[in-house]
Amino acid sequence: MGARSFGAVALAVVVAGLAVTRVLDNQYYYFAGYVVLQYVVLATAWNILGGYTGYVNFGTPAFFALGAYTAVVLIQSLKAPLAIQLVAGAIISGLLGLALGYLTLRLRGVFFSIATLALAVVLQTMFINWEYTGGARGITLVRPASAPLFGNYVQFLFVVMLGLAVLAVATAWWIERSWIGRGLTAIRDNEEAAECMGVPTLRLKLVATTVSGVLMGLAGAPFPYYVTFVEPTSVFDLNYAVNSLAMPMIGGSTTWIGPVIGAVLLGTAQQIATVTISSALNLLLVGLILVAFVILAPEGIVGLVQRLARRSGERTRRSGV
Amino acid sequence: MRRNRSRTRAWAVVSLLIGALFASSAWPGAASAADPIKIGFGMALTGGLAANGKAALIAMQLWEADVNKKGGLLGRPVQLVYYDDQTKGATVPGIYTKLLDVDKVHFVVSGYGTNLIAPAMPIVMERKLVFPALFGLANNEKHNYSGYFQIMPAGPRPAIDWTGTYLEVAARQTPKPQTLALVGADAEYPHNALAGIRENAKRLGFKVVYDSTYPPNTVDFTPIVRVIKAQNPDVVFVASYPPDSAGMVLAAHEVGLQPKMFGGGMVGLQFAALLTKLGPKLNGIVNYDFWVPEPTLKFSGIEDFLKRYQAQAEKAGVDPLGHYLPPWAYAYLQVLGQAIEGTKSLDQQKVADYVRTQEHDTIVGKVKFGANGEWATSRVLQVQFQGIETTDIAQFHKAGKRVVVWPEQYKSGKLIYPYSSAMK
Repeated sequence: MGARSFGAVALAVVVAGLAVTRVLDNQYYYFAGYVVLQYVVLATAWNILGGYTGYVNFGTPAFFALGAYTAVVLIQSLKAPLAIQLVAGAIISGLLGLALGYLTLRLRGVFFSIATLALAVVLQTMFINWEYTGGARGITLVRPASAPLFGNYVQFLFVVMLGLAVLAVATAWWIERSWIGRGLTAIRDNEEAAECMGVPTLRLKLVATTVSGVLMGLAGAPFPYYVTFVEPTSVFDLNYAVNSLAMPMIGGSTTWIGPVIGAVLLGTAQQIATVTISSALNLLLVGLILVAFVILAPEGIVGLVQRLARRSGERTRRSGV
Repeated sequence: MRRNRSRTRAWAVVSLLIGALFASSAWPGAASAADPIKIGFGMALTGGLAANGKAALIAMQLWEADVNKKGGLLGRPVQLVYYDDQTKGATVPGIYTKLLDVDKVHFVVSGYGTNLIAPAMPIVMERKLVFPALFGLANNEKHNYSGYFQIMPAGPRPAIDWTGTYLEVAARQTPKPQTLALVGADAEYPHNALAGIRENAKRLGFKVVYDSTYPPNTVDFTPIVRVIKAQNPDVVFVASYPPDSAGMVLAAHEVGLQPKMFGGGMVGLQFAALLTKLGPKLNGIVNYDFWVPEPTLKFSGIEDFLKRYQAQAEKAGVDPLGHYLPPWAYAYLQVLGQAIEGTKSLDQQKVADYVRTQEHDTIVGKVKFGANGEWATSRVLQVQFQGIETTDIAQFHKAGKRVVVWPEQYKSGKLIYPYSSAMK
């Protein structure tokens, strides 16, 4: 997809989202839509490090929670508006990403993954014991009743998350097409070879961890106003780690569109399962779909479609001969 | 000819359907009178609080059946509409907006627990709904919302009143104990309880000699108990969730911790699973509770309710005693039902006013709410485990094993003091 078409689609998505808020009053769809879009951001962010670079990050809850707690601190201390919360959440989580990169990127494979998991545990313990942000008791936050230009704050949050999702996807799209993306792919395929060919591996990995951290922090910053009660067990929920990993796996982890497809499909399925079948099936659903994709379509939906398209092209060529 | 007849028949069916459609829209009142009054809620049916959530659901379904057997509310049947909140606060906003905007429920009540009540608060406040809540600690403290009603009898200052009773009991002993050790998990309820007990310790003049928390997944409590023992406190207050409560009791026995009073805020010592696991090791512990089968707490309908609950509980694999949460899950719906009947209305404001101003007769006794939606006066019980000789569950159905030592009004026996005398 060219830059112009991508820009047009992105703009159309934002405009469509804004238009929806003018015609649809049912709040349920905004809450459900918010969660799906939040997963688009998280899955895309995860994919920049996990999919493009090949470094599996289990620490999504740490970055997400840091974004959320940054917002809590700003609400508590300054009653800061959401825009400030977003910027601050992004910066703090980005810095954590950078620090994580410096400290752990010399680790490879499963050792790196364990380090990211440990990061989430360390941060959770810190927030459990920090009374200013509610500690283990949690903290209740009062959401503003309305936002300028929006009748309802929930609609505003939905549009904000839609904007963040577009921003995250645009970032991934740009990275994929730039020299950074090519460098990250080289690292994923063979880090030693990439290093020998002059790819600045450490620098690129730091870019990946930082950008990934920024986007995850952005996803977490509006969470306090979404849920209005923040406590460590809910923001450090392992579900964020599982979903942000499963979604790119299902959609396809080598392109920017894969995490979007995975997040929309799986996120929507989970939202529907919660209010229809049984939410006990939620994680089972994720597990089964993940196993099915790993066996049947290891490159995700995008890979599967590409494979099928290739096959049909070959068949057409052969029949043409 | 045959084709003509079948065409006529088809038209007749279509006309009938259109007629029925018109009839139903022409008299909406007649149709809606038979429509059920829908009460919606999210409940923890999976996740950390699922065991209690499932037990609460059984109680709520019993209330639904009881009401419908008597002809419903305002002549309309009652229908519960619920979803599993997975013990996750993040699911709650979606669930409550689905209930209100898609399922079009008439009333909502809360799920179980502080963390699951809090995310629903902005939604009910925005729409000015009456909101009976099930076992949340100080959920209305920041909002001070007039439609919120908490069925848990913690009292007007929940965190303080809840824990205060334990130290009140201690302070009345002669000679008055002087030193206090506090310990609890790094989690929501224990932190609230510890904050409350610190204030009460100050008020009642106890000297705190140990005050610490432990990580939520701690399995070995022996080192903690050894440190407490080394401080030699007169009173030990423990704020813990079920697995830790068992761990603390076992560790106290192993180490030989024998303060003058032990217990206070241990969650789990109200459930059959821990009661039968710990058996005689419970003797002497003084702990909070909300209802126990003592003669002073035999409210109308409670025994019949428990009989029916217990018959279902075993099948559902939940707490077979059902003394802790289920009666309250039944009672908060009783309050709502009585308010709907009392006002003869589905108007949220009228129902909320009724709940706030009237006293309600429920299976957990008379319920009267204060200005902030908490109980007007605390009815947190302190019970002492006495005379437990086996791990058999049958003994806990009877009076005399969990003796109420506080408050005076519901006292069913004397406190055996110090703890070491009651351990035997």
